[in-house]
Amino acid sequence: MRNGDYSPNRFQAQADAVNLICGAKTQSNPENTVGVLTMAGKGVRVLVTPTSDLGKILACMHAAPEQTPGACAPLSLGARLSKTPRLGGYEARGPAPCLEIGGEMNLAAGIQVAQLALKHRQNKKQQQRIIVFAGSPVKYDKKVLELIGRKLKKNSVALDIVSFGEEDEEKNEKLEALLAAVNNNDSSHIVHVPSGPSALSDVLISTAIFTGDGEGGSGFAAAAAASGFEFGVDPNLDPELALALRVSMEEERARQEAAAKKAAEEASKQEKGEQQSTSQDATMTENVNPGTSEPEKKTHDLTDDENALLQQALAMSMDDSSSTVAVRDTDMSDASADDHDLQLDRFILPHQLPVDLFMVVEALCCLLENQTLYEHRSRLAIPLQLSVQESAAEQSNQTDVNKLLADQSFVSSILTSLPGVDPNDPHVKDLLASMQSQSEQSKEEDKTPKEEENKSSILYTVLRGVQAGGACNGI
Amino acid sequence: MACLHDHSCEEHDCSSDWSLYKHIDLSKVSALNEAVSGSVKSVFRAWEHRLNSSEGHLESNEGDPELIVFIPFTSDVKIKSISVVGGADGTSPAKMRAFINREGIDFSDAQNMQPLQEWDLMENLQGDLEYQTRYSKFQSVGNITLHFSDNLGGDTTQIHYIGLKGEATQLKRDVVATIVYELMPNPSDHKTRSETGGGLSQVE
Repeated sequence: MRNGDYSPNRFQAQADAVNLICGAKTQSNPENTVGVLTMAGKGVRVLVTPTSDLGKILACMHAAPEQTPGACAPLSLGARLSKTPRLGGYEARGPAPCLEIGGEMNLAAGIQVAQLALKHRQNKKQQQRIIVFAGSPVKYDKKVLELIGRKLKKNSVALDIVSFGEEDEEKNEKLEALLAAVNNNDSSHIVHVPSGPSALSDVLISTAIFTGDGEGGSGFAAAAAASGFEFGVDPNLDPELALALRVSMEEERARQEAAAKKAAEEASKQEKGEQQSTSQDATMTENVNPGTSEPEKKTHDLTDDENALLQQALAMSMDDSSSTVAVRDTDMSDASADDHDLQLDRFILPHQLPVDLFMVVEALCCLLENQTLYEHRSRLAIPLQLSVQESAAEQSNQTDVNKLLADQSFVSSILTSLPGVDPNDPHVKDLLASMQSQSEQSKEEDKTPKEEENKSSILYTVLRGVQAGGACNGI
Repeated sequence: MACLHDHSCEEHDCSSDWSLYKHIDLSKVSALNEAVSGSVKSVFRAWEHRLNSSEGHLESNEGDPELIVFIPFTSDVKIKSISVVGGADGTSPAKMRAFINREGIDFSDAQNMQPLQEWDLMENLQGDLEYQTRYSKFQSVGNITLHFSDNLGGDTTQIHYIGLKGEATQLKRDVVATIVYELMPNPSDHKTRSETGGGLSQVE
């Protein structure tokens, strides 16, 4: 179960698949209940009694596997479910136990305990189904398994088998025999998942285990696999979040390009070909176009190579491992680039807009929307915060801030493109003048804390100024 | 116990007695260990068609003669007697055990529980035989589960017709179905008319 033949390891792949299936089942019918039990380790153990609360199931599956000393053969997980109409809810009691890897898989006992647990379900009208994840060798005879299968069929319990792990002819034979004994009218299925690059969950999505239940399963699976939106966030639902993610991606990309350019210059002395940025993101495939790194105004049209970098920055902000980033890569490779549904669509940011100025701009935006900065901020995702912190740590940006702030034309261009702000407004003009004087003052002093202070005072001034300006314009 | 009428049972008089099939909730009838899923619904017919199993019959799985038939009613009924027409060549059921007003009985439950009443059945290909119940115990039956535990030697058990004789009351067993119990009131769930903007709010 610790093998890496399924990425990242068998146990984790199995856990992901279980989470996916549980989610699909609970979503397809609100009265479905799902429970989980384990078959190996110290013995068959029910982790979660059938419940319609997906949170409990996920919490239980999330518990990290601990290593038991001298553990031999792998652990297998049997998931058992009940289906369709159900009244009320059934709550699992007690804390979620940890998942340990160790011992041998006890298939027969696992199935029998699952059957017993299903028998004692609260709503007798529900249909019964057991899903078995068999990643280990099966130590029972074919005859025993057939007997169990017939008993399940007699009590009209359906059985789905997910067979993965070592390729074993005997195991396949036994599982096929079990399925044949249980199968009644094609209500039971078996899936063999060979080891390989594609994740266990992805293979399962397309199988009858998901689609065999009908409408609900496939809908959920489609949503889970690839939302079709950039970053998996629907701009219609959360435009600020989508904007924030997009902007942080752009900033990151700009930074990457600057780094890449530097590296390219060095590398061109030794070899031809461009060096890519950090080693951490070795899985990313990027075609960086250095020609586009000028700080000119751009629209929000994103090409495919930009997508790659966008995801990279997103991944870095989210502190994810490189493997999951790779997955997102494949999912979003065909995401549409145009996104004109954003509220602040016509708000154009130059590529090298440093972070602090972005904060200023953000403050302006939320003022115009009549929100407090806190409210606005709280709706933005953590990625934005992290990316802000990361790039804010870079020294090179800080000096840029003052330059840009001092550039009155630049600031006024920003302000003009904001809805509701009139640059000829006396308040705004005063504001710009005060900003310029303040930034000149800060240039003379070299200390970082002072700069920060000045920046925040600039921010505050801008806020006040726009607020006054806004009041004048009758916002 | 043969039919106690003094005329042959082909006459229409008998059929009105065996009319409890009209009160069966056919959509919720289910069976365990049936070979063809859903075939159990075909065994409930009018008396005069009891031998006409052109629409199919109920058969158990190969090598396993046990059958459980769950019959819910649309209202409470009183059951006076039961008639079962089985199959030929030893496929007729030999023992019948009845449980009333219990849902979700499966084979292990049926084997361990004491039935309300048990009968030894004989081959009844013409449908003449009826088996009387202890009427006082079958007074308000919301659903009945029949467990056929054995047959007359055949490989499978076949049932072509199940007839129920008795009376239907108009009462319904009330199942408390869709109640949500609140531990603490949630004001958003209890909007008054004034909040929703319509009607006159009453102040008492």
